[in-house]
Amino acid sequence: MPSTAGSRLLENYRPPFDATAVRKLRESGAIVVGKTNLDEFGMGSTTEGSAYQVTANPWDLSRVPGGSSGGSAAAVSARQCMVALGSDTGGSVRQPASFCGVVGLKPTYGRVSRYGLVAYASSLDVIGCFGSSVADSGILLGAISGHDKFDATSSKRDIPDYASQFVAIDYLESKPLKGLRVGVIRETLEDGVDSEVISSVRDAVSHLEQLGCTATEVSLPSFSLGLPAYYILASSESSSNLSRYDGVRYGNQVFGDELNSLYGDSRAQGFGSEVKMRILMGTYALSAGYYDAYYKRAQQVRTIIRNSFKEALDNNDILISPAAPTVAYKIGEKKNDPLAMYAGDIMTVNVNLAGLPALVLPCGFVEGGPAGLPVGFQLIGAAFSEEKLLKIGHIFEQTLPGCSFVPPIVADE
Amino acid sequence: MGSRAALLLRATPPLCALGKSASPKVLVQNKRFYAAKSSLQPPDVPRLAETARISLTPQEVEEFAPKIRQVVDWFGQLQAVDLQSVEPAIRADTEGDNLRNDVPEIFENRDAIIAAVPTYEDSYIKVPKVLNKE
Repeated sequence: MPSTAGSRLLENYRPPFDATAVRKLRESGAIVVGKTNLDEFGMGSTTEGSAYQVTANPWDLSRVPGGSSGGSAAAVSARQCMVALGSDTGGSVRQPASFCGVVGLKPTYGRVSRYGLVAYASSLDVIGCFGSSVADSGILLGAISGHDKFDATSSKRDIPDYASQFVAIDYLESKPLKGLRVGVIRETLEDGVDSEVISSVRDAVSHLEQLGCTATEVSLPSFSLGLPAYYILASSESSSNLSRYDGVRYGNQVFGDELNSLYGDSRAQGFGSEVKMRILMGTYALSAGYYDAYYKRAQQVRTIIRNSFKEALDNNDILISPAAPTVAYKIGEKKNDPLAMYAGDIMTVNVNLAGLPALVLPCGFVEGGPAGLPVGFQLIGAAFSEEKLLKIGHIFEQTLPGCSFVPPIVADE
Repeated sequence: MGSRAALLLRATPPLCALGKSASPKVLVQNKRFYAAKSSLQPPDVPRLAETARISLTPQEVEEFAPKIRQVVDWFGQLQAVDLQSVEPAIRADTEGDNLRNDVPEIFENRDAIIAAVPTYEDSYIKVPKVLNKE
């Protein structure tokens, strides 16, 4: 099956092997129906950055599905497939899940092998799961998890049977989440976040409290530093990772009289604007004499963020935030303003920096589009606590009153 | 940029008090950071493109330069954070000792790898002359 990563450079590329996650799915009997659209090499938050098509949001065709794995989120939301994979470097599974009203799961760094995943920023990349229910997402995670000798960062820990712990609503106690300590991250419900998103997330927290949780506010003062640190690390690592696309061994080639012009022209023809800009920013940040000012400082910020999450998760079982500061916005709205688009990643990038697992669930609607636009909230857990997140999520989605997250174009059929 | 988005990009004041010497005039976004940290030069887009082996058109240079500068300037806010004695983290924690034995293995689907090479002749990958300078 061709694999383009949304790039013109890989237009007719057929990989010689399946990624480990895909191989495991096939071995479990899954039927692979196709590949989905994305922002080129995962660089974007709208899927408008694909070299091929712009993907629409099934809830409102004039809006973006989010990104970068927006095609996967839209396909699951429109019920074109049961589940889908995506990659999450800074929120590329969770933010589109939120925009499209589906479940998005970012596993712990190391839970799933990245062998065969087109690399963007290797210190952050994980393969994540989309489903129209928590149960489906959990089954998918179980199928793709585990150590792989071809990815040294993949963990040898046992894989829990995620599906076996799900309890159907008829068998739930009246306070099924009694004793669970929930920390609501204060910095994610402040100025700059859409007020309707804030009230949806607060309602979700109230619902968790009715299920028996104790919710308190926690502060992560370093939260806002995660965004620039993330973009320094991601663009730096991408400038290195994408150096492999030189037009020599695979991909579209522009032949020249000299090797450097073959490289330069193949890359110029093959990459889109956002990819070029991120490679150039990364090249700048990694320039001789600048490493300490950018890349190293961003890595130090990563340590601070990791420690602040650890502390918050010592006192709480899970942390809660919105999945994105807004609901899905209009196609074209942020296309020419990189910083405005990057700002939309504030809720998710810190979790990648800390390497933690997070589950995004639809929790409500705001006005917009033909039938409202879904809002997602994010449950963040300690490393390798996917089992707990899925269990909580499964109870939440079964007990949330009066919410059906099926887009009108599907429901009306 | 929408005002909401702008709010999210602002670091919290105590962590991000930029150079004291910044006069009102220097507060113009692009100049602010380089003025505070004079050893760092703003991005020179044509030079970066050459380093990254991407042949940009003059139109692209013109289009990208202000955007890259804006983002790099925004990166600059980390200069003001006190990070003394903080160890850098290369990645999230992973368990050590996961390396496989360094033993070569034969990849079965060799033909598919060769089929993907754009210019291939008689068991060689063909590229232009590498050593053509005096």
